[in-house]
Amino acid sequence: MMRDDPVRRVPMALSALVALALAVVPLPAAIDAFRPDFLVLVVFYWSIESPRAGGLALAFFAGLTLDVVRGVVLGQHALALTLMAAWATHLRLRLRVFSTLSQSLTIFALLTGYQFILFWIDGATGNPVTTFSRWLAPVIGAIFWPLIAGVLSRLHDR
Amino acid sequence: MVAFRNTDTSGRTSGLLLRCVLYCLLALGLIITDKRYDHLGDIRRFLSVVAYPLEVVVASPFQGWDWFRESVSTRETLQADKQKLEAALRVANFKLQRYEALEAESQRLRALRTNTAAVASHFLIGNIMHLDLDAFRQRVLVDKGAHDGVFVGQAVLDSGGVFGQVARVEQLTSEVILISDPTHEIPVQVNRNGLRTIAVGTGDSHLLKLPYLPTSADIIAGDLLVTSGLGGGFPAGYPVGTVAEVKRDPAQSLADVDVRPAAALDRTSEVMFVWLNVADDTPAPAPAAAPAPPPARATARNEAPAHGAAPPP
Repeated sequence: MMRDDPVRRVPMALSALVALALAVVPLPAAIDAFRPDFLVLVVFYWSIESPRAGGLALAFFAGLTLDVVRGVVLGQHALALTLMAAWATHLRLRLRVFSTLSQSLTIFALLTGYQFILFWIDGATGNPVTTFSRWLAPVIGAIFWPLIAGVLSRLHDR
Repeated sequence: MVAFRNTDTSGRTSGLLLRCVLYCLLALGLIITDKRYDHLGDIRRFLSVVAYPLEVVVASPFQGWDWFRESVSTRETLQADKQKLEAALRVANFKLQRYEALEAESQRLRALRTNTAAVASHFLIGNIMHLDLDAFRQRVLVDKGAHDGVFVGQAVLDSGGVFGQVARVEQLTSEVILISDPTHEIPVQVNRNGLRTIAVGTGDSHLLKLPYLPTSADIIAGDLLVTSGLGGGFPAGYPVGTVAEVKRDPAQSLADVDVRPAAALDRTSEVMFVWLNVADDTPAPAPAAAPAPPPARATARNEAPAHGAAPPP
């Protein structure tokens, strides 16, 4: 595993960049609420796949980038993403033998935790977002997980 | 089932907990510093400059498409466009003839009242970058920033009316909070009778609310709301929206008023930053001196130095 660490960082960084671009690309308002958190799912994938190649660092800096791009208080997404990526890393051996459905359910739990931390920090910093659509995001993410993980593992094979 | 290639199944995640705690403390420290002490402006500015190329790359296909459509448009379309624009310009010019006189008259009346309402002194056009910042918040990114003299709190208009105000300024871009954001409130008055109140956003870019009006307030559907200029953030007299519906429930003490914004909050692509020329604090000219030629007064006011760190118009 250690020998291909340097190789693994390239697809890691690349997929994170693409996911970030997908996260900010404009969509019609009607389907915007159904956009999965691409960057979050990619971070989860790499936390499960190769935690030693810097999954937590990736999570922290991806979160920080989200903070800057979204213009919220610095550290909000970074904290949520780091915590949930650590949890994903903790669960990775179990996740690996799960069926796709069980994997999606686990991802749903992780995404819900992620949204909850964001919600909590939003409230604590005094600009709460109380729209209900925020709690739709975990469902969308869980539905998209098999697709995104499939694409990433294919990319990984090359 | 998704296959993971990693063959390391030893289960050891050396120091996972330690690293997790470290990163979390770092993130918490950032949140507290950013929120409490507001010391991270420089870091944020630096990071946003790093993120700028990405924003440009993501936005470029859309700008490229606009450019492409413009450059392959036929002669007929261009001519039709030209005719339409000329017609619009003619109408605008007709209106403007009266405007000069009215503006001068309004200035005289304001001077009589020694009112110090702010007047827009000059404008800067910015393009909205095609980026979705946050699905839950009504904010857009515009391609003018501190470099162009934009400042936090600055009023932003579009061709229809008031668009929003600057919430955050970076070196090359700025973030504008729309008047429809749930956290945004703007002082307005009813154009028909001067009734003053506050319009708040709802999170829906087609709807504002007037939550602070009593049921007995004189307001009806179709009333035009304009900025009152109170608070000094926005220039007075720009359209904010029209009242769409007034619901009066006798059991409630406050009316429920829906307002349709005048600006095309979700369709516009160009906005205008406004620099206010806060009327001079020097005592207004005595009424006797008022009959000065109005055009001269208007010109003098236009050439007055802009307030704040404004770039040359």
